[in-house]
Amino acid sequence: MRSFGRQREQRETTVPMDSISDIAFLLIIFFILATSIQRFAGFHAEIPAAERAQETEKTEKMPSVILRGGALMLNDEPVDMPQLRAGLLALQLPSKPEGQRVVVVETSGSVPYQTYFEVMSAISNAGGIMGILSEEEGAKK
Amino acid sequence: MKMPKRRVRPITVPTTSMGDIAFLLIIFFMVCSDFVKESNVKWTKATAPDVHKIEKSRISVAIDKDGEIYLQGRRLPDPDALEAGVAALMQLRSGPDAKLIMFKCDRGVDKSVFEPVIGAIAEAGGTIVAVGEKEEKQ
Repeated sequence: MRSFGRQREQRETTVPMDSISDIAFLLIIFFILATSIQRFAGFHAEIPAAERAQETEKTEKMPSVILRGGALMLNDEPVDMPQLRAGLLALQLPSKPEGQRVVVVETSGSVPYQTYFEVMSAISNAGGIMGILSEEEGAKK
Repeated sequence: MKMPKRRVRPITVPTTSMGDIAFLLIIFFMVCSDFVKESNVKWTKATAPDVHKIEKSRISVAIDKDGEIYLQGRRLPDPDALEAGVAALMQLRSGPDAKLIMFKCDRGVDKSVFEPVIGAIAEAGGTIVAVGEKEEKQ
């Protein structure tokens, strides 16, 4: 009979750790390259959905900004961008209840986003809520 | 006179903890990083004097210079698909900034393209965070 009492040969097991730091540094390089560390500038624009906008419509006459091609109007008066900003700030919208803070933006013709962005930022800065009225649709969004 | 021979000591840089340090750095980057989703979207920022620094929100809608619409960096066929997509993404998120939608649009895009997109975001119940650049005084 074979002897089971014979001692098994003990082999030393080692995990190769030499390249671990290389792999880890490669992963770090990947994360550095794939990560965005951009800081953004902009503003919050409050735009009510169609249902809320229609409820607001019932209250009273709201201030309106008209963008017609290159022309800009505030309450049917032609203005430039600094005048629009000043006019909207003069309305003191933050002190009013939510329903009376709506500024209707009416657009027709070709309007680039640059102009629209400036109008949106002016309304947002004055504490207004934007209501969009498009001539083609003729209905509030 | 016979000078005693100087004993040369072997110089070793301790590299045992290098891997640990590297993995700690990886964990830091994994926790803090936010992957670039819209590297494929080419757009020029609109400018205005009233913009200020804003926190980045998780949901992002973009319109590139050709008028293509993107949600989280993926191209969408139309604003209707956008409304459903934004609503679904908002449902998955919780917290105060769950409804904030980052809106990036090329400054030259016409209103026939961006207005339906803004309308779709509003219909989905999102609050638009318009991204732009501060206007430099000339």
